[in-house]
Amino acid sequence: MKLDASQPLEYRTEENQLKILGFWIFLGAEIVLFATLFTVYFVLENGTGNGPTGKDIFQISGVLWETFILLSSSFTIGIAIHAMRMGMKKAMMTMMTITLLLGLAFLGIEIYEFFHYVHAGAAITTSGFTSALLTLLGTHGAHVTFGLFWGLAILLQVKKHGLNTHTANKSFIFSLYWHFLDVVWIFIFSFVYLKGLM
Amino acid sequence: MAKLFPKEHIIGFLSSIALTIAALMVLYLDVSFAVKMTILLVTAGLQASLQLILFMHIGESKEKGTLYTNIIYALFVAVVTIFGSLFVLVWDWY
Repeated sequence: MKLDASQPLEYRTEENQLKILGFWIFLGAEIVLFATLFTVYFVLENGTGNGPTGKDIFQISGVLWETFILLSSSFTIGIAIHAMRMGMKKAMMTMMTITLLLGLAFLGIEIYEFFHYVHAGAAITTSGFTSALLTLLGTHGAHVTFGLFWGLAILLQVKKHGLNTHTANKSFIFSLYWHFLDVVWIFIFSFVYLKGLM
Repeated sequence: MAKLFPKEHIIGFLSSIALTIAALMVLYLDVSFAVKMTILLVTAGLQASLQLILFMHIGESKEKGTLYTNIIYALFVAVVTIFGSLFVLVWDWY
């Protein structure tokens, strides 16, 4: 194991560098996954049948909360990685905890929103529009849910083992994942909600 | 505290809030659909770049050429999938 002390912990071994590179390639595949879901949504957007349209069911207040919460969590995970690079374990853990709590809040609002949709007569089987919408939102929400468990597991490892080449690498890769989910949400916010409401 | 919150991160965060509010304006501005879509494409594109460059540090390692190539290729496939489908199935340009 070659150690390169000029690099931050998460890059310090060749294995770590390859893991980060591999995760970026995975994110490339995730871009394509979400692109296909957006494609389905844009194609079926007007296929509302007897069900409601986006304008009927979207509520901008909840969506704005979700957006600002996710943007803030993207900021806090960024600060967590910055703290990690300065060796500030406690600050890193605090920022990561805030990130996960914000993620939980996001998920809470999204689940409430899904209940609202079903009550408003927009279940996943109602129309092409609702199927495509809930599949896109659900895939993003499932990613956030997975991220919460993943992040928690890493947080526990940092608490137990401190910041070393392994935990720093895992934390950095998690931060890439979390920022990516924020990027996907920006496109959902713009081209599902705002486009649907305008 | 100042050490914990570097300037780039604060600027990035405030810019993302500002871009979100700018995007929100499509609900209140009295302009054509094309102009509104342009606003959304520009604000979303800027926000995504901001996350990628400022927060994800895509350019920091020596593999940045590979990373950019991979992401740009993924975006190319994404754009072809989305617009290819729209051309044929929605806009009837065949």
